[in-house]
Amino acid sequence: MHAILFKVAFVLSLGIFFVPKSWKQFFAFAVSLLLGITSVVWAVNVLMSGQTMVIDLGIPFWKENPALTIDSLSAFFILLIDFICLTGLLYGWGYLKPYFEKKSAITLSLHLFSFIWLHASMLQVVTMRHGISFLISWEMMSLSSFLLVIFEGEKEATLKTGINYLIQMHVGFFLILGGFLTVFHATGELTFDALAGYFSNHNNFWLFLLFFMGFGIKAGFVPMHSWLPHAHTAAPSHVSGVMSGIMIKMGIYGIIRVLFQVQADVYGIGLFLTVIAIITAITGILYAIFQHDIKKILAYSSIENIGITGIGLGAFMLGKHLNKPELMTLGIAGALFHTMNHALYKSMLFYSAGNIYYATHTRDQNLLGGLIKKMPFTGMSFLVGSIAICAIPPFNGFISEFLIYSGTFQTIGKASFSESLISIGIILCLVLIGGLSVYAFSKAFGLTFLGSRRFPENSKTETEVPLLMRISSYVIITAMMLVAIFPYFFLQVVAKAVAVVPDSRIAPILAENSHALQTIGHVNLILISVFALIYSLRSLRKNKIDIQFKPTWGCGYSAGDFRHQYTSTSFNDSLRQLADGVLMIERKLEPLTEVEIFPAQRSFSTETKDLIEEKVVLKPVNRLIKELPKAGWAQTGYIHHYLLYPLVFLLIIGLLTFLNVF
Amino acid sequence: MISIVLMVITALFFPGVIVKSKAKFSGRKGPGIFQPWFDIARLLRKGNVFSNASSYVFQISSSVYLAAVFTALLFIPFENLGPLISFTGDFVLFAYLMALGRFIIVASALDVSSGFEGMGANREVLYGLLVEPAFFILIGSLAMFTGHASFASIFQGLHYTSYFSAVIGVLAAFTFSQITLVESSRLPVDDPLTHLELTMVHEVMVLDHSGFDLGIIKVANNLKFAIYGMLSANCLIPHELDFWVRIVIYFVLQVGLAVAIGFIESFRARNKMAMNPQYILSISAIATILIFVVIIINNNL
Repeated sequence: MHAILFKVAFVLSLGIFFVPKSWKQFFAFAVSLLLGITSVVWAVNVLMSGQTMVIDLGIPFWKENPALTIDSLSAFFILLIDFICLTGLLYGWGYLKPYFEKKSAITLSLHLFSFIWLHASMLQVVTMRHGISFLISWEMMSLSSFLLVIFEGEKEATLKTGINYLIQMHVGFFLILGGFLTVFHATGELTFDALAGYFSNHNNFWLFLLFFMGFGIKAGFVPMHSWLPHAHTAAPSHVSGVMSGIMIKMGIYGIIRVLFQVQADVYGIGLFLTVIAIITAITGILYAIFQHDIKKILAYSSIENIGITGIGLGAFMLGKHLNKPELMTLGIAGALFHTMNHALYKSMLFYSAGNIYYATHTRDQNLLGGLIKKMPFTGMSFLVGSIAICAIPPFNGFISEFLIYSGTFQTIGKASFSESLISIGIILCLVLIGGLSVYAFSKAFGLTFLGSRRFPENSKTETEVPLLMRISSYVIITAMMLVAIFPYFFLQVVAKAVAVVPDSRIAPILAENSHALQTIGHVNLILISVFALIYSLRSLRKNKIDIQFKPTWGCGYSAGDFRHQYTSTSFNDSLRQLADGVLMIERKLEPLTEVEIFPAQRSFSTETKDLIEEKVVLKPVNRLIKELPKAGWAQTGYIHHYLLYPLVFLLIIGLLTFLNVF
Repeated sequence: MISIVLMVITALFFPGVIVKSKAKFSGRKGPGIFQPWFDIARLLRKGNVFSNASSYVFQISSSVYLAAVFTALLFIPFENLGPLISFTGDFVLFAYLMALGRFIIVASALDVSSGFEGMGANREVLYGLLVEPAFFILIGSLAMFTGHASFASIFQGLHYTSYFSAVIGVLAAFTFSQITLVESSRLPVDDPLTHLELTMVHEVMVLDHSGFDLGIIKVANNLKFAIYGMLSANCLIPHELDFWVRIVIYFVLQVGLAVAIGFIESFRARNKMAMNPQYILSISAIATILIFVVIIINNNL
């Protein structure tokens, strides 16, 4: 019954091309809602019963019947996908309004069609277990997101970014394909479940590495992250929200599926994963600090959060090897919990960034400032998102990082030398990441929304965005508050997903730690009520005392304007002096000469380039582009030569066969 | 409960003792011990002047700051007498509550569109970034030493079996007191009495706070002293002693810490701003020594 609804949604998605322009948004939302309701019913069923559900789609295809296999891990991801895609589409409803006048009907239809397909293909990715159907869904996901990214393809830069994205996704696709084929070659089966068979009698590390690189490109692990900041900046905000919120998590999903099958070499894989994840997180947040473009800050911070998730997964593997059930359980639970938390606040932050762009037509922090006075609601959601993403209570971000912290702190006591070093290393990195994200987000929020507007002559018409664009944020904030106040309930959902791992030590540890989560929920409530109490005391006095509004203190100088404020560049400067070695910041400033008594007008600009992208991606590619033409000597243009080449080839083959080389 | 009472009492006299001892060291008579609190009481009654540039973030900032510090206070035990709230990993929540206070004050500083306050905000996030690792290394090594993972159980399990292990207590108390100096913005990292905005860190961020807002920020700062003072004291006081003896030792330690701060502030100058990151990182370095001491004592090497 439900399978039919799922298929009907696919057919209906074509209808978007035939619906009148003004109804397209509504139609797209309805189709997505149909997909959402169908899959949520499945997911809730699976989570309640704890049993795996198999739904045969009934379409025979290449020696197999593609089926949706939903276990509790898939169910967890299904709920996330549906929530983020539906709120994303709702936000897009408002965000796309201005484009409805400019863009042709076919472009808009294609965009909404791709959005539905992105939703559907992600649902398939987390439910299809057979290699071929999984890879087809994976490809569907990449193609539909590519179409979404190039929505503003009339800009050359956007198109270039889109193609860059498409190429990198295909590199990932072939790596995953290679992984599956390796398994197929050894076991004769082409499914995720066959991995266990391969892992039990082959080297685990290399196959894991192959899958990790394939999935890691999607997730954005450093050094495979270079597509992420570009694509998220080029895409319209509702798309970046969904991409960062949930699509990159498909990479995490793939890695988790592979990790669960790993049999041996657990220590090597765990250490590798932890180190890569730590590098990812620190690089991500460090680069986030040095960006001026709000969406780039958010994109780099997504890389950071993928890193934190990866640290959880690494802790899971390390705990498994070291026989430390706390580290293992809280690592994987923290990773899954963080996936959920990050999906919530990051999509909301991207929607808020979209609101800024909608209202001001710029994303450059050095041109913004003081927006909270004109856009109080957007400012509020950005503030909530910033606090949550720094893992600061009373919002949800703290819960997941707490789980990972708690796992390491419970391991550290009475541990051996190497275990203590691993635990303290993870803790130190998490603390550093936490401090850096406070830096990044106090800057991201403070310089955009607070203070006074830079270049106020541009800001005459800026107002708060319409309600339609804010509903999604309100829904997400509500969800975040629910997670923060009832973390125990959500831990139970995560625990169901973790139960996919056949390990009897996991459930008791989660039960032990549920007390901590319950208390954190209470502390969040205490914090909010103490605040409410103090604030109401403060408000009560308001009508009794004298309140004045005066210019900001400036040592008696009261004619200061926006130029007195710190800019994005100056706010970074103190950290730049400490971290200059690992960054690639181009500073363009013509120095003053000695003879110049009255200096002429000068300009100063900084640009932060991604060091890893430059060295790992651009340098080899540019080298290749330079070297490849040298192979052109063989292209003589004479047909005789072209006929000679196969002849030579055949001769060599014949000779080698004759000599029995093969 | 007893820990909260103790901390509140400490917060009452701590700033006064610092001021008094500074006055004595410079040969003045100085104000009474409770003068800082009379100043706060006066601030609480006063009217407010808000910056034209400020928004609602500025309005909520001081209340959020006090709420965060007050909630953090509930986590601190007095030795083996448990705090109001305790669970596995509670010190992580404690540290992040402190981060909430820092975040909101930084936001309020950026809200008034002032060059000075931007400078202070920038320094505050940088120093916060550098000092947090010290706290976590310290707590991590204490957790390693005792085998527990909450404030209450760590301080309960902090028994020194030999003179060697007492080194841990001394090192930990020293590190906590160093963290106190950074977190409460005292010399040598920051000078609360400087009259030049360019050299302030914490004080410059609250330049535009006035009246009630400034008053409760000062209350929160005093509570912060008491919190870190309690943490340092917990590392030093032996459990075996009688309850009342421990209380007396506690107050002696707190007065000693306050006098020490007064002493430092009378006899040394503030660091050059460019030196501060190094100075703060050296606290983490001391905490790292602690890890190795613990590893050696636990015979884990």
